[in-house]
Amino acid sequence: MRWLCSILSLMLPLPLLAQEDVHLDNVQVVAHRRLKDVGVEMTKLDTLTLHDNISLSMADILSKHSTVFVKSYGRATESLVEFRGTSPSHTQVTWNGMRINSPMLGTLDFSTVPAYFIDEANLYHGASSINLLGGGLGGAVEMVNKPVEKRGWGVQFVQGIGSFGTYDDFLRLNYANDRLSSSTRIVYSTADNDYKYTNLDKKTDVYDAEGNWLRSYHPEERNKSGYFDDFHVLQELYYKASETDNLKAFLWYTHSKRGLPFLSVDYKDDSDFKNEQKYNTLRSVLQWDRRGDQTALSVKGGYSYSDVGYEYYTTRQEAHTSITNSRSFSNTAFLLAHADWMLSSRFMLMGGADFYYHHVKSNDRSPFHIGKNFDKGRPEYTVNVQARWRPLDAFSLAAVVREEIYKDDWVAPIPALFADVILWKPWNLVLKASVARNYRYPSMDDLYFQPGGNPDLSPEKGFTYDAGVEFAVQKKHWTLRGNVTAFDSHIHDWILWTPNTKGFWEPSNVKKVHNYGLESSVEGSWLMAKALKLTLAANFAWTPSKNVGEQVNDNDASYGKQLCYVPKTSANVNARLQWRTWTLAYQWCHYSERYTTTSNEVNYITGRLKPYYMTDISLEKTFRWRHVECAVKGVCNNLYSTRYVTVLSRPMPRRNYEIYLTIKL
Amino acid sequence: MRFTKLFLYMLLSVSVLTVACSGSDDTSEEESFSATGQGVFVLCEGNYNAGNASLSFYDPVKKTVENGVFVRANGRKLGDTGQSIILRDGVAYIAVENSGVIWGIDTETFKVKGQVTTAGTKIINPRYVHFVSDTKAYVTDLYSPYINVFNPKTFKWTGAIATGQEESRGYCSTEEMVQVGRFVYTNCWSYSNKLLVVDAERDEMVREITLSSWQPKSMKADRNGKLWVITDGGYSMEDESFSDNIPHLYRLDAETGVVELDQTLDTDEANVQIEMNGTRDVVYLINNDIYRMNITDSHVPVRPFIEAPRDANGRRHKLYGIGVNPRNGDVYVADAVDYGQSGAVYRYDASGALIDQFRVGINPNHFAFK
Repeated sequence: MRWLCSILSLMLPLPLLAQEDVHLDNVQVVAHRRLKDVGVEMTKLDTLTLHDNISLSMADILSKHSTVFVKSYGRATESLVEFRGTSPSHTQVTWNGMRINSPMLGTLDFSTVPAYFIDEANLYHGASSINLLGGGLGGAVEMVNKPVEKRGWGVQFVQGIGSFGTYDDFLRLNYANDRLSSSTRIVYSTADNDYKYTNLDKKTDVYDAEGNWLRSYHPEERNKSGYFDDFHVLQELYYKASETDNLKAFLWYTHSKRGLPFLSVDYKDDSDFKNEQKYNTLRSVLQWDRRGDQTALSVKGGYSYSDVGYEYYTTRQEAHTSITNSRSFSNTAFLLAHADWMLSSRFMLMGGADFYYHHVKSNDRSPFHIGKNFDKGRPEYTVNVQARWRPLDAFSLAAVVREEIYKDDWVAPIPALFADVILWKPWNLVLKASVARNYRYPSMDDLYFQPGGNPDLSPEKGFTYDAGVEFAVQKKHWTLRGNVTAFDSHIHDWILWTPNTKGFWEPSNVKKVHNYGLESSVEGSWLMAKALKLTLAANFAWTPSKNVGEQVNDNDASYGKQLCYVPKTSANVNARLQWRTWTLAYQWCHYSERYTTTSNEVNYITGRLKPYYMTDISLEKTFRWRHVECAVKGVCNNLYSTRYVTVLSRPMPRRNYEIYLTIKL
Repeated sequence: MRFTKLFLYMLLSVSVLTVACSGSDDTSEEESFSATGQGVFVLCEGNYNAGNASLSFYDPVKKTVENGVFVRANGRKLGDTGQSIILRDGVAYIAVENSGVIWGIDTETFKVKGQVTTAGTKIINPRYVHFVSDTKAYVTDLYSPYINVFNPKTFKWTGAIATGQEESRGYCSTEEMVQVGRFVYTNCWSYSNKLLVVDAERDEMVREITLSSWQPKSMKADRNGKLWVITDGGYSMEDESFSDNIPHLYRLDAETGVVELDQTLDTDEANVQIEMNGTRDVVYLINNDIYRMNITDSHVPVRPFIEAPRDANGRRHKLYGIGVNPRNGDVYVADAVDYGQSGAVYRYDASGALIDQFRVGINPNHFAFK
């Protein structure tokens, strides 16, 4: 069957060739180097990649188009992003300049960010994140919205229908003239998400009439309590006040209701138990930019609100019991000012300051705690100064220093140095290097959550060294660019939550972790014929991530072992073949085995998750008329119906399908 | 079109590669076991929400251990958060809390003989099983305001006893059970300072006993009809306190509920637990180290019977479970290490001398002796 799928998937475009003549976009020159980018290791995801299809979240995009590892608990469930084998809280995330990591947890659930809401995403690896903000011991993700370029009114509607009762709707209304641009985007996604799977963790026994055991088999089950119902709306306004001044406003609201899927080893019936998370999130940013000949100034202010409710209860009559019920409210206000000053074509100064105030109120009811977890406010201040210098045409240097203050605590200065050397101009072959010391201040849960929170926690500290080469070349019919980076990173005082004897968990600065490895990517476009273009992108990462902290006791076999759930290698390949109005896309990704114990034991069945390979394929046909563009796209996810899990006892869906209809006016 | 062909060949190559390399979970095969002699079951609770609870079987004569015997014998996983194991008539009953299941397995072959699940019952998260008779067993629960009743022969649910606990503060948790005469006693751990008394003939809750310390964690009954209870004392932190974090050891007269002994213990870094020997005249308890006392003693000895193992740097291992072989008084002590890897079990003889040590599954917490 798999062979047949492969062959059929390759045969599909053949009879469609030479039907319609279209114009292919020109390939872009890629090698211009800005002073701002000196020594920076960055992965850029453009609109084409991000807006692949409406059902994708940022978690899906990042797992398929970058070297980061996405730890996902299933479809439309918590998905956390880890750079280079660090923890999810070591990934800092901004949206239009505002940091949007949860102040409670220090993480962001990327499954809650529809990829259609982001127009550009930049991944800053390792030390490079210090250019953006502090605390990204692994890296940072910058998500940006951009105004539409087309003047006048525009409408885009996408209807997606997929397996497991999945419906995705997207509507975008936009208007632009010379001064004003407005965009309203709405996403509504809902699914039963009750996919069937053969449950290898259970067996059903068959008995004869006398009660004698006859045989057993792995039952066919469905994903219980996996439903979701997400609504997002994003409003953007861009106003060009003058030749030098621009105003921008962003408002993003989300309402979500999601069932939390049962484990594959759970014998409860989902008709008797409800396990559900609901949240509302509002994020807003106001921005003023002034750009002069040699200077640029940006001032931003924003506010975000989030309430998250989690409830687990029985619905059985006469035994209705609330098992867990928690509610948290987060309010964040922020202000940011940033200035660039180009003193000469070879020297640039940058600097800025930002201020955040978080207030979090958290309550819960669990067997280990009932009542107020905490009700705290925390101001955070940051100043940064950056100098970038190009003493020679082929050699550039940059220095960044950040100082962060959390309430009354001054974190030690965060310094970073960057350098790059152009080794060979024709191929824009550049040698890059950086070194940085970074800190991550504990999240509010780490410090204050009751019971367990530890106000004596120290910030996590990291040293990171990066060195690599990149190249970019353009010829008449093809472009090619790529990079390979080696990194070495040491994180001390890693905060780890461990259970105590009362049954609840407590954080402490227990771990030291040594991460090292290689990241590489290559991307090319090839104009194969007049109307035939191939785009190929591949990423590969080798990320040993070892615990080198003090042993708990002499039974502790975790020293020198790979961290739990961190794959040593990961890779993905994305191929896109465009022929006239047809687009065939092929996506493949791979993760090596991941250990589930700190000692990396593989001698019992739950000790590791096996490596897996995932293949998605899609075919799209676009129809164009004078004022209307219409596209039909079919997607097959998990083409080979691979049986896999990314987290223990969380089976993922096998082969599934989606079809999308897009109408653009 | 040679470029197109080239691309298609490339795509085909990748397809072949992915097909050839696609990973999948193995369908676990079933192994045959024949553990006819004596042995010790070690239940390892695993990590909450990971589904990696496991069962080990230790042969005290050969000093060998077989890990993961449940999944190996049955081709299915034990579940999420194994809480307790108890043996009766050649069957081991294992309460797997967060999976909502109580397994019954043959103690020689480790094959599943039956199970009780939550469907059609008032079970939520089963904690402990107690046998009232050959055909009646009680199940306590972390959340349910009921003690459920099932027939251990047929694995059929037969009813539930309302505990009548108020939900206003705390849970309706019920934990370990002991029986003195016709009455079954259970300790209420989560946010409670109560012991409940159930009339096992009428399957009714008849009264409750209030303790001066909070969160009774473990309870046993001695040969004189006295209840031995150890509390964990709740918790006391910088911003919030629930009780004083001081564990207590109690001896109560089961019939009258009168407290005969109330001793404060050291604030505990280990998992407070209490055990008895086979003749139920010696008490063992974990309070950082292992202490032993006769049931007639008036206080816990100053010096521990067994000091918790210490490593080269003098750090004391945090003990997670204790079991005492009723036949010979061997003491088994579990060390959960860092809660994320194979735990260790230390076996001592009745005099406290270390006999053996071995590794089991994640977070070993309960023992049962065959």
